[in-house]
Amino acid sequence: MINTNRRVFIGGTTALSLAALFPRGLIAAENGKLTIAISQETGDLDLLQNVSSLSAYSVVFDALIHYASDGSLVPALAESWTEASDGKSISFKLRKGVTFSDGEPFNGETAVWNLKRWMGQPDFSWIGISDAMKNITIDGTHEITIHLKQPVPAGLLEMTIVRPVRFLSPKAVDASGKQIAPIGTGPWVVTSYDNTKTSLVRNENYWGEKPDFNELELKVVPDELARSNGLRSGDLDVIGGEWVAPLSPRRARSMQKNDDVTVISAPGTASILLAFSPKSSMVSEQAVREAISLSLDRNAIVKILFEGFADATANVFPGNIPAGGKTRTVTPRDVNAAKGKMSSAGWSESGGSWSKGGKTLEIELLVSEESLPGSRRLAEMIQGQLAETGIKVAISSVDNATIHDRRPSFEYDMTFMVTYGAPYDPHGTLANLFLSDVDSGPDGKIYAHTDLDPILRTALETGGAARDAKMQEVYDWLDNNAAVCPIVAPQRLWAYSSNVSKFVLSATDYDMPTNGVKLGS
Amino acid sequence: MSKLILRRIILAIGLIIVASALTFSIIAAAPGNVAALIAERKAGPSASAELVQQIAEELGLNDPLPMRYGRWFSDAIRGDLGDSLRTGKSIDQEFSERIPITAILLGGGGIIAFVMSLGIGLLGAVSNGRTVDHLLRAFALIGASTPNFFVAALLVIVFSVSLGWLPAFGGGSFVSWIMPCVTIALFPGSVLSRVVRVNLQEIMSRPFATTGFAKGYSRSSVLIYEALPNIAVPYLTTFGAQFTLMIIGSIVVETVFALNGIGAFFIEAIRFRDFISMQATLLLFIVFFVFVNLFVDIVCLFIDPRIRRETHG
Repeated sequence: MINTNRRVFIGGTTALSLAALFPRGLIAAENGKLTIAISQETGDLDLLQNVSSLSAYSVVFDALIHYASDGSLVPALAESWTEASDGKSISFKLRKGVTFSDGEPFNGETAVWNLKRWMGQPDFSWIGISDAMKNITIDGTHEITIHLKQPVPAGLLEMTIVRPVRFLSPKAVDASGKQIAPIGTGPWVVTSYDNTKTSLVRNENYWGEKPDFNELELKVVPDELARSNGLRSGDLDVIGGEWVAPLSPRRARSMQKNDDVTVISAPGTASILLAFSPKSSMVSEQAVREAISLSLDRNAIVKILFEGFADATANVFPGNIPAGGKTRTVTPRDVNAAKGKMSSAGWSESGGSWSKGGKTLEIELLVSEESLPGSRRLAEMIQGQLAETGIKVAISSVDNATIHDRRPSFEYDMTFMVTYGAPYDPHGTLANLFLSDVDSGPDGKIYAHTDLDPILRTALETGGAARDAKMQEVYDWLDNNAAVCPIVAPQRLWAYSSNVSKFVLSATDYDMPTNGVKLGS
Repeated sequence: MSKLILRRIILAIGLIIVASALTFSIIAAAPGNVAALIAERKAGPSASAELVQQIAEELGLNDPLPMRYGRWFSDAIRGDLGDSLRTGKSIDQEFSERIPITAILLGGGGIIAFVMSLGIGLLGAVSNGRTVDHLLRAFALIGASTPNFFVAALLVIVFSVSLGWLPAFGGGSFVSWIMPCVTIALFPGSVLSRVVRVNLQEIMSRPFATTGFAKGYSRSSVLIYEALPNIAVPYLTTFGAQFTLMIIGSIVVETVFALNGIGAFFIEAIRFRDFISMQATLLLFIVFFVFVNLFVDIVCLFIDPRIRRETHG
């Protein structure tokens, strides 16, 4: 009896050892499958809930219009569109022959049913075109028109955002209208999802260019180091993307040394800004804000903290944002000029700090590493740079909940803010984070001033050829008043393994990069 | 005996109530407005101050703390731990999906720690004072002083990245569990091997061991048949403590190996300030700690009559 057990044990152990010795590729053939890391589970991809991760929607659902890398709008489920001369209606000619992955046809009727799920609903009043919607008409089997109460210049751009604007099969809801399955017209069909991964297969009826491979797996890997190791070991094919599975500049730089991994970077669509509290007595003077901006060595920040994977900027929005304003030259760091600004404004320097009227200048910089990864180090570097001008900075490092609590009530002197990025900008950031009379909730404001409001509102309400000029007036006002201090525009960072022979970056980091990707060494 | 066990169970329940009240208070006292975070996730950029206030009212965040605790605890004992603020799923569903993953990790780690500690401890005792004993002692020292995130990273780099033998992530095939289980077992296995080794050394100097040698038994036979049963109580007590601590280790190990168990759930809950998930997970940790120790106590009562006599006083 004992001998039998021993034989079984030894045999089993040997078999397991031999199995472990095989290269993984021989154990599990994974031909035709692309595995992309995601930092959190996709969830059920409900188009009306703000719970699922943003990046997974684009593989399953299409919008009428898609946002292209150059900021232009390209046809998707709508082949063409026409805006009325008064801006109060937009007509769409829908693509014919499109079906949802469950076989349901996509036509005017299903399009209107989808649009009415969110347009005009209070929960989606933050979307201008939803708030302004009067009614939607079906003009033919594949033609619809959205009628508006007033023109919405950014309306078409808003039709490209991640949710809720995409289209769901009418059969994928229950009796109460709640989404019960993620069934769209996109290139992929969800076969299963849980908290470890989401599995998808190619939509063989996809109207566009079909993916080159037949399976897609979105693997949940919350830890960045684990993602990088997974890529190097071949367990993952693609990592990166701000909204997919962020890759830090330092990790990207170290991965470039690995022959089996390719790191690619591209200009980002969001900027990191130093925001000044309108309630702060420390930064209420323009001279102080200008001195702060002049004291910053943005190029050093790019080189040291971002490993070169960022662009120093003096603009609120990166150059690839439509109507983002003329590119301003980044002023080189000038400590003497900064001190000159302070002296001219009546501040006197003694003992390495500035004072005026018995008040010593000491600025609180509110940061949250959870809210903006890397912000603690950025704050420390800024603290060091401002110290050379004699501007004292005290860093308050708080958690995500606290920063969302303190920002709306302006309980700080300075804090970091990040613009929303494409396709939400410039209107998204400007309307929510600058207009003083708009409740931006926990996000707070980048800057707010009643003098800015009318200029900004005019710009947001202006369409057509005059839009750029009106937007420029906003940027000029912000610059002339030193209202914000742009620092850098981080680049988009992605890395892929040698299993991927061709990688095409998606238009924005809100989209999963699967289009045009080819597998094979 | 049954009175003793009943007394221990009542004490355990009291401990759970006190510990859960303390953790509830600490989480509630943390700065930051959770309602604001929820509002932002619910309504996106349009989250208004009114919505924040409405959510705070719905969640009862404006009520006095004792009232909130009482409501939460009474719901908890009925099995209703609420819904995760991050995922929107019920905590029951989250736990049912995640507990099996953590159970496999802890079970596998526990088995490895058990076998490893007894193996190293016994081997050290057999080769008493010789090179093998010194090497094993050094190994145990390194194992007990190396943080598990470092062990995990090292194993992944060697066995996944360099050799390509094992997958970098756990939770799939049998082989995918090897590295996570070894990582989580290294610390308790090393500590326990020292417990085995030191206790065996002490036992071997007792008169009954000398008697065994006098009767002609080999050192190995005396160690296994005479000394080993005598270290059962200190070994099981320490094993219980180390096993419960493994759930803390699971927080790191699950994150590194992309295992979506209870540890990873807890970390995500902290990141998002999902206080409902945090409270529920901490309650689970407390129950786990208390009941593993209670189980060990009861086992020790059964196997060692001296403890029964001491407890009776």
